[in-house]
Amino acid sequence: MKDYSELNGLELDTLREIGSIGTGNAATALSSMLGCTVHMETPEVRIMGYNEAIEWIGGPETVTAGVLARVEGEIGGIMLAVQKMEFVNVALQRMVGHQIGEYDQLDELDISALVEVGNIMISAFINALSGLTNMTIKLSVPAFAVDMQGAIIAVPMAEFGGQSDYIMAIGAELICEGHTMPCRILLSPDIRSLNFLLKRLGVLDE
Amino acid sequence: MNSNKVVVGIADMKIIQGSGELVTYALGSCIGICLYDPAIKLAALVHIMLPLNMETGRKSPMKYADTGIRETLKQMESWGAKRIRIVAKIAGGAKMFEIPGGGSLGNIGQRNIESVHLNLKREGIRLLKEDVGGTVARTLRFDAATGQGYIHSYGKPESIL
Repeated sequence: MKDYSELNGLELDTLREIGSIGTGNAATALSSMLGCTVHMETPEVRIMGYNEAIEWIGGPETVTAGVLARVEGEIGGIMLAVQKMEFVNVALQRMVGHQIGEYDQLDELDISALVEVGNIMISAFINALSGLTNMTIKLSVPAFAVDMQGAIIAVPMAEFGGQSDYIMAIGAELICEGHTMPCRILLSPDIRSLNFLLKRLGVLDE
Repeated sequence: MNSNKVVVGIADMKIIQGSGELVTYALGSCIGICLYDPAIKLAALVHIMLPLNMETGRKSPMKYADTGIRETLKQMESWGAKRIRIVAKIAGGAKMFEIPGGGSLGNIGQRNIESVHLNLKREGIRLLKEDVGGTVARTLRFDAATGQGYIHSYGKPESIL
């Protein structure tokens, strides 16, 4: 079994490719949900330690929204879509016709809209992964939280923290009618699944 | 007080003495454990993520409640702390996501709380105060001069630990 820190160049490139294709699919799904063309600027896929990942996403105390789903089936893990304020406001404007200044202004309708957006993006990402690998992958019902982002992204880290000190994070700027929607997705397959995934794609160097 | 602020990351531990402040940000299901020897004003803060260390190599003892507490106490003793004087305050162990049909996901915070309690008891350390559980993240500051803790959560006034 290989941990994230033990992957070679080809294996890392493959994960980056998965990240790009998954995010591309998520952007397309977002287009149809928001009813506008969503362009994606070159996504960045990184594998980072806990504290590095928290800095990368913008510091531990910044408040953000997160939509989380458990990945089940042939691979197991957690997917988390982090919805920064700029993202939230573009999505809400298109879907419910208003914006917010602070996260505590989210009403029930806003929250269900954001959960739906997160869920669609996560599902599109996982569908791409499933198509690439010909694996059956299921997702749990999504959960939603608003809090300090350090605590939110610690959830997927803690879930597999006993196996690995690293997490895979994908960042991309999505552009919807001139508005930038920062998209941050954290994918944390357990180590067995990571190995299975790379093997399935034919790149695992055992 | 903020002039000498030492940041404790995830799965990390820091010790300071006499003055200054230890801080750890955004504890969700993780727990911040403040250990203090008032006689020599020695303050340690460890930020653990999981209840039990089952790693083969045990490369990161501070990631876990059991090895984190044990290793921190050992280091405090090497600074001259006496175990009989060391007291503890803890914060964290929240449940950040309510997952329908949850599985073990939501329970990490609760398991962390139980493990910290058990390990403090096992090491003979008195738990003075705690602010644990619930559903919100906490930032924890710990003042080495007084042994006082401060907790900040999103949308709430600061509270004293």
